[in-house]
Amino acid sequence: MGKPEMKGTVTSLSSVFPPEEVQKAAKMVEGKLSEKQSEMNQLKEFIADNTSLINLVQKLPDELHHDIMVPFGKAAFFPGRLIHTNEFLVLLGENYYADRTAKQTVEILKRRGKSLMSKVDALKAEMQDLKAEASFFDSTASEVADDLVEIREYEEDNSPERVSQSGPVELESPSVAEADNKVSASEDDEYARLMLRLEELEKEELAAEDDGENDEDEDEDANANATETETDGDEDEDELTEAAFHGKKDEGYSSLDHNQRYLESQPRKQLQQSKGKDPMNEEMSTKYNHQDLTNQLACTGLTAEPVTKGNYGGEIPHGRIVHQDTKMLNPPVNASVPSGKKPVQTPKSEFDSSKAFTGSIIEHTENLEKKLPEQKTTSSQASDSKPSKPMSRFKMQRK
Amino acid sequence: MDSLRQEKIHKFEEFVDRRLKPDLVRAIAERDKVFDQQKIFSDLRKNIENLEKNSVTNLRTLVNLGSEVYMQAEVPDTQRIFVDVGLGFHVEFTWSEALKFISLREEKLERQIEEYTRLIASIKAQIKLVCEGIRELLQIPEEKTVEGRVF
Repeated sequence: MGKPEMKGTVTSLSSVFPPEEVQKAAKMVEGKLSEKQSEMNQLKEFIADNTSLINLVQKLPDELHHDIMVPFGKAAFFPGRLIHTNEFLVLLGENYYADRTAKQTVEILKRRGKSLMSKVDALKAEMQDLKAEASFFDSTASEVADDLVEIREYEEDNSPERVSQSGPVELESPSVAEADNKVSASEDDEYARLMLRLEELEKEELAAEDDGENDEDEDEDANANATETETDGDEDEDELTEAAFHGKKDEGYSSLDHNQRYLESQPRKQLQQSKGKDPMNEEMSTKYNHQDLTNQLACTGLTAEPVTKGNYGGEIPHGRIVHQDTKMLNPPVNASVPSGKKPVQTPKSEFDSSKAFTGSIIEHTENLEKKLPEQKTTSSQASDSKPSKPMSRFKMQRK
Repeated sequence: MDSLRQEKIHKFEEFVDRRLKPDLVRAIAERDKVFDQQKIFSDLRKNIENLEKNSVTNLRTLVNLGSEVYMQAEVPDTQRIFVDVGLGFHVEFTWSEALKFISLREEKLERQIEEYTRLIASIKAQIKLVCEGIRELLQIPEEKTVEGRVF
């Protein structure tokens, strides 16, 4: 790592993220969490009722008749008996009923129980996301209270940018707070930015073909990135947890090891994007410059990518941030927090951006300078994590 | 002077919002519950009168076992009916006794409803009073400063 001119910035966290906003965001998340908790309780009640009903239905056919008190309205009973104890009338919905035997009724009830369980699982996943978000907010709040300061350094050359932070968590937290605040606003911008990026990527791909590196990957990535941009929110998290980001599809973007450092720089890029489309192009190019094609491919959207993805990942993930509890903060923050870090990134070549977006996970160890091992793990994780994250699909649908 | 007035106004508003309005909401909710009870008993009465009119002795019904799963039930003798008289007790009645009981019950419920209605009306009147007081406090200074107003 040569030492070209170093630029640096020092920002106090509290100036970037007002403590009140952070607290508000934390409270919002808590409120949502309690809502989900009550929904969860209700679903559990339903499941318990269902199981007890299954037991009852199984026991009733044991006798020909059962003497019971037959309700007559809500306040009166008639003494009577249950007859035809093997015939059940089951409501299928929409005023459609079905006459079934006990066994068939039990099967119906079991299927109902399964769908309830799957709802409970989905709700649990949501609650976990919310909890992660809440913890991020809390950490942000504590950091802000402690007057932590963000220190960023930039190198003015074509080697990948390295950003050092005094508090790695800081990047994320601001984005989280801001993300929450600005999710709605950034989502609209994200689409526009995505389109711009796609165009840029295409251009870069053409240029990249000359390099003879990973041309194939780029195409795939570009396509993948387009669809996965939504998951970009994960990018920021990559730094902190490469694994976490893998799941998120940011992979396509520039998973360069160097990029991991980028996460911090990305926020700037994202900010730039929020400013306008032009900055995005710059950012994209700058980000990619840092990343060699191979690196990008290797990193495939794992944590390192946040740089490229940050551009639009930041925007898209805004909506996702809620779900992705971890470090998504960076992208949103970047968008919302105007930082004048653009100039640093313009010198980067544009190719890399196209490669960064490769959706496929391709590990090229040629140019990986630092984080090869990390990227590999992340890439493998990325492929695995996709199926395990149903939420991302929701987010995509929402977007 | 103005700051004092502002304080008073603020206090009045708080009083209205924190005490009177929730009280109103609660009273209305209680009255709705009594309405529901009344409806239940009047439905029951109509049903019993129907049974009597058609001299129904046997009855076939569908009993809800829970989660909308029904089973056939037969009532061989409809002469005896058990009615809920409160506190978890059900009393065995014949039709005519049941009807008498239900009419007594309905009277009691109506009296309860009337009480709740009076309570709700008084709360609403209090709210209006406080609002008027606030308006006076606001208008009087205005009237002094704006000489155009003459009542």
